[in-house]
Amino acid sequence: MLSNLHLIALALYAVAAALALEAFARGRSVPRPLALAVPSAGVAFHVAGVAQLALVGVAPALSMLALFLVLLQLVSERVFHASAVALFTAPLATGLVGLALLLGLAPGAEPPLGGNAWLISHITLSVLGLALLALAFIAAALYLLQFRALKAKRFGPIFLSLPPLERLDSLNRSALVAGFPALTAGVLLAVGYALRFAGGIHVDKAQVVWGLFTWVVVGAAVWLRVVRHWAGRRAAFASIAAFAAVLLVYLALKLSAPGGGAERFL
Amino acid sequence: MSITVVGVNHRTAPLDVRERFAHAPHEVSASLARVLSAGAEGGVLLSTCNRTEFYLSAAQEAAPAAVTALLADRLGTGQPADAYTYTQRDRAAVRHLYRVSAGLDSMILGESQIQGQVRDAWEQSRAQAGPVLHRLFQSALLVGSRVRSETGLGHGAASAPSAAVELAGKIFGTLNGKSALILGAGDTAELAATCLRAEGVQVTLVANRSIDRARAVAERHGAAALTLDEAWEQFATVDIVLCSTAAPHSVVTWAHVAGPIGRRGGRQLCILDLAVPRDVDAAVGQLENVFLYDVDDLQAVAAHGAAQRRAEIPKAEDIVEQEVATFWTWHDALAVVPVIKEFRSRLDALRAAELERALKHLAHLSSEDRAQIERFSHSLLNKFLHEPTRALKEAAEHGRGYALLEAVRRLFGFGGGGTDA
Repeated sequence: MLSNLHLIALALYAVAAALALEAFARGRSVPRPLALAVPSAGVAFHVAGVAQLALVGVAPALSMLALFLVLLQLVSERVFHASAVALFTAPLATGLVGLALLLGLAPGAEPPLGGNAWLISHITLSVLGLALLALAFIAAALYLLQFRALKAKRFGPIFLSLPPLERLDSLNRSALVAGFPALTAGVLLAVGYALRFAGGIHVDKAQVVWGLFTWVVVGAAVWLRVVRHWAGRRAAFASIAAFAAVLLVYLALKLSAPGGGAERFL
Repeated sequence: MSITVVGVNHRTAPLDVRERFAHAPHEVSASLARVLSAGAEGGVLLSTCNRTEFYLSAAQEAAPAAVTALLADRLGTGQPADAYTYTQRDRAAVRHLYRVSAGLDSMILGESQIQGQVRDAWEQSRAQAGPVLHRLFQSALLVGSRVRSETGLGHGAASAPSAAVELAGKIFGTLNGKSALILGAGDTAELAATCLRAEGVQVTLVANRSIDRARAVAERHGAAALTLDEAWEQFATVDIVLCSTAAPHSVVTWAHVAGPIGRRGGRQLCILDLAVPRDVDAAVGQLENVFLYDVDDLQAVAAHGAAQRRAEIPKAEDIVEQEVATFWTWHDALAVVPVIKEFRSRLDALRAAELERALKHLAHLSSEDRAQIERFSHSLLNKFLHEPTRALKEAAEHGRGYALLEAVRRLFGFGGGGTDA
């Protein structure tokens, strides 16, 4: 049942990705009812699937990240009329759900140390923060593509199907500003859980380093946007640098971890 | 009931002729009344800068002639208007209106303004339209919406002014509330300013070499007037600069823009150079956050949009044909109603007469028995009529109504009133 729900969600996300790519190739936007209906249907099945999951572990985290990405895609479409976000989020969500299924999803169980609510809240908020950072990156990438098309006077598919610059800038800012409190709460809940239920911070050092590094990087990006009033191309580059740094540090920490094979990246 | 359209459009009449035929809203009712008095049940007048069309329901032969006579009067040259007009009837007339509403018959393919104009025409003529045209115009608006939502006929800019609006829109998203500076006070500058204002842009400043001409244009747009030398500093504040001076060389140089642009705090500036030769030095486009477009760029955007729209014509025409078929089915069914009514009323009169005659010979019957015989006569008639009525309605719904109606008329000796198969 759990896998079936994820499989249906995967299929619907794949359809959403195909629609987004086909529309982009033709220099159009996906018709709004379709752009909302297909991913929404996927989200409905996905939520039903995630509700039965034990959220601890890599596969559930990937599944939840995919869910948040599609939810943010829907918010972007509804609030910012930015259907082009689906060009990134829909294929990414499809891949993440596929990977989660390959790794294996199991029904939920109470964590051995207790404090289920703390742990679930920590994971949920942290994954939401990461999804918002990814959305900020996507908005920034789309901004730079549209900026280049407008400057170079290339009136092809990018010009036609991508949203206006100001809207993408606004989406980037909103994603960063919303992402920072989510990550902050995620970090605080992790510390609280460790102290209250685990008798101290015993988790993998690399995990702590990466979590804190991500929090600092996103905080810096928000500071540049909100306090230093960075906007436009400069802010887009900053968001891309922030996302790249978080990704690179993750890879570096995993590469330096003991053990071998592809499993260590998970 | 026939549907007829008599009109002129941008293909059949030049602009100076179309201008004379165009009706202001307050003239619509009187012109329609004149045409309807020549013999038509309903009428709607669609009058835009590109077309003047009279849609008539149940028009007698004199009605189209009344339209051409009315147009000839407006021409005022003593010449007939027939050379400019076209007439379409029934399905062709319905198809014509649907194509108009969808933007397929517009000068700029797929333009959306026409749908609002069709709605306005319907509302202005509502009192004189009658039920058939009421339904026709309602469905025409739905066809327009369907074509726009299901095809790409309205996507992309298809003219230079709409290209300018699209380019500015791709930078700012909404243009509502954005401010504009107009350089130049000629006709092109003013026309472009009007286009931008229609999108919600506030034209705040008009600059020109001659301050008097700048003042004249500024007054019409509620803006302030400046000389060109005073205009450069304003590049730091406005969102859009529209250039259309008659200068034989560049009037806006890198040095004019580079200073003010640094004080914009990273905000984008869109410069639309509509002048030939160009008003803005191409180097200005290299500045960070400055987006400079000239006439060639606007035409490139428009050409791209027009090509995309042309590719959508077959899809749009398919929708029009589907909707014509749907409307005509309704129209056929409408034609059956009066015949069925007449059919039933004649046979009922016959039943009543025969019943009365029979009851005269049955005076010994009680009132209950007489009522029973009357109920029997009603029941018998209904049973006889049930199958032919159902067959007529079904035939009408499948577009075969007229043949069957004709058969009924001949078999029962009805007159031809009410339908015109």
